[in-house]
Amino acid sequence: MDYLKLNLWEIKEKLESKEITSEELVKLCFQRIKETKELNALISTCEEMALKQAKLIDEKRSKNEKVGILAGIPIIIKDNINIEGTKTTCASKFLENYQSIYTATCVQKLIDAGAVIVGKANMDEFAMGSSNETSYFGVVHNPVDTDYVPGGSSGGSASAVASYQGFSALGTDTGGSIREPASFCGVVGLKPTYGRVSRYGVVAFASSLDQVGPITRSVKDSAIMLQVLAGRDENDMTSSNTEIPNYLKAIDFDVKNLKIGIAKQFFNDQLNSEVKEKISHTIDILVKNGAQTVDLDLPSFAPALSVYYIISSAEAASNLARFDGVKYGRRAEKFSDIVDLYFKSRTQGFGKEVKRRIMLGNYVLSSGYFDAYYNKAKKVQKVIKKEFDDAFKKCDILICPTTANPAFKIGEKSNDHLAMYLTDIFTVPINIAGLPAMSMPCGKNKDGLPIGLQLVAPMFNESVIFKTGSFIEKALEGEKDV
Amino acid sequence: MAKINIEETKKLAKLSRLEFTDEELADFVNEFDKTLEYVEKISKVNTDDVKLFEKTISAKNELREDAVRESLTQDKVVLNAPESEDGALSVPTTVEEGGQ
Repeated sequence: MDYLKLNLWEIKEKLESKEITSEELVKLCFQRIKETKELNALISTCEEMALKQAKLIDEKRSKNEKVGILAGIPIIIKDNINIEGTKTTCASKFLENYQSIYTATCVQKLIDAGAVIVGKANMDEFAMGSSNETSYFGVVHNPVDTDYVPGGSSGGSASAVASYQGFSALGTDTGGSIREPASFCGVVGLKPTYGRVSRYGVVAFASSLDQVGPITRSVKDSAIMLQVLAGRDENDMTSSNTEIPNYLKAIDFDVKNLKIGIAKQFFNDQLNSEVKEKISHTIDILVKNGAQTVDLDLPSFAPALSVYYIISSAEAASNLARFDGVKYGRRAEKFSDIVDLYFKSRTQGFGKEVKRRIMLGNYVLSSGYFDAYYNKAKKVQKVIKKEFDDAFKKCDILICPTTANPAFKIGEKSNDHLAMYLTDIFTVPINIAGLPAMSMPCGKNKDGLPIGLQLVAPMFNESVIFKTGSFIEKALEGEKDV
Repeated sequence: MAKINIEETKKLAKLSRLEFTDEELADFVNEFDKTLEYVEKISKVNTDDVKLFEKTISAKNELREDAVRESLTQDKVVLNAPESEDGALSVPTTVEEGGQ
């Protein structure tokens, strides 16, 4: 049996029944990481730390001591999330040698639940990108077809999970950075509600939009991961104390009387015909099983991408002001005075896309443009949020594509930043509204590239996503067997 | 009409503490024009009734106790500093001799 190819919930059972030890599993994992090295999915690995944790879990198990729900399971963390004892580079030259001095709450929760951290995933520099081509450590390849991008910015996380380097990976999602790569690599990516998971220890990109979430190979795995990750953290004042339901209770339910919202804006002429066909087919399955569709109008869907680029760039410009070559990170070798030290260190340390966003952010924040761009964008954000709120008065869940097209080839869009930004058109409105959403595979195009379907729910209602997602997963799996 | 000129980009670069070659700055003017033209879409959305300073997220405000807690040690704080001395970050002289 190829243990690495099992889902997280399946390997959990194998470990519990002692069919395999965590140490054996972790060793298999590192073998797999070496075999799939050419994908460039990981920036660093932590073999010594992982084996130590695995042995500890095995020891506890052999003594029948209580272990956590992720005990012994290998998991990968995006490299913008701090783990003490590892480097956290954000895939930037600036932080090439940055040593984490503390552990992020989300990772600590995984470790406390017994998870074994095996490596840190490659990503777009400072999470700015949709293709994982802006990493200082090189492009990541899509395991489905290595000529294609894995998506971004959590491209390494998605590529690693799709190539069985681990059973889940943490990503971060500011405008689609978990869902888009999950969609491109044919795995499940969840962006929880804004505030559901603590961001303490996660390097900030756009603080009013960033959220941490899991990438997995099944919907049930996603529910297990969120169960561990969710919750209030006194170190993150934006984390919510909204009650955490038992997410696993939502798995294996029927969809009778479920009201599915379909917005006409999601099915425009820019949508690839094969993507449209697969999404429509999935909706048909749900309807055949008792769900109802509700037609919706979300007119502010189109300007959402503009709102996103204004707000996220403005916040990025402010957040990245801390990288000055003084406190941490790279300092230029030659400079004339303190101000020149800032200029030289930043110019040498940041890549092109990061500089572009800092410039755009400072532009929309500068006097004379602040009202026309930043304040206007914040107002339109409220209009968008209200449209979603109104939509959820008529339906339980929204279904739409994750991206208009499947994965594109490496290099195809890297010289056209606007075309690259447009990749996120279906995912950014969700961050603007603070809602939870999941991308899950719903088929492949004629070239065998995965197609992602996006499920969007009201705030803090991840359960309805798991319920609908697990139903779809089972139904599509059933079709394959016929 | 161009929305941004080379002088403005130079000023922005200075504010951003970034240096660019003339060629890079010219590219920015071009790119910014396209991006700004695209984001202009938001001006068409009617926001007359929107109050800017109303909360978007319906979270309850929560206060914490103002108590002393453990924080990072000095060793950890300077661990990643490019240059440090006796637990302090080193920077080039910022005040000239005889300056204020």
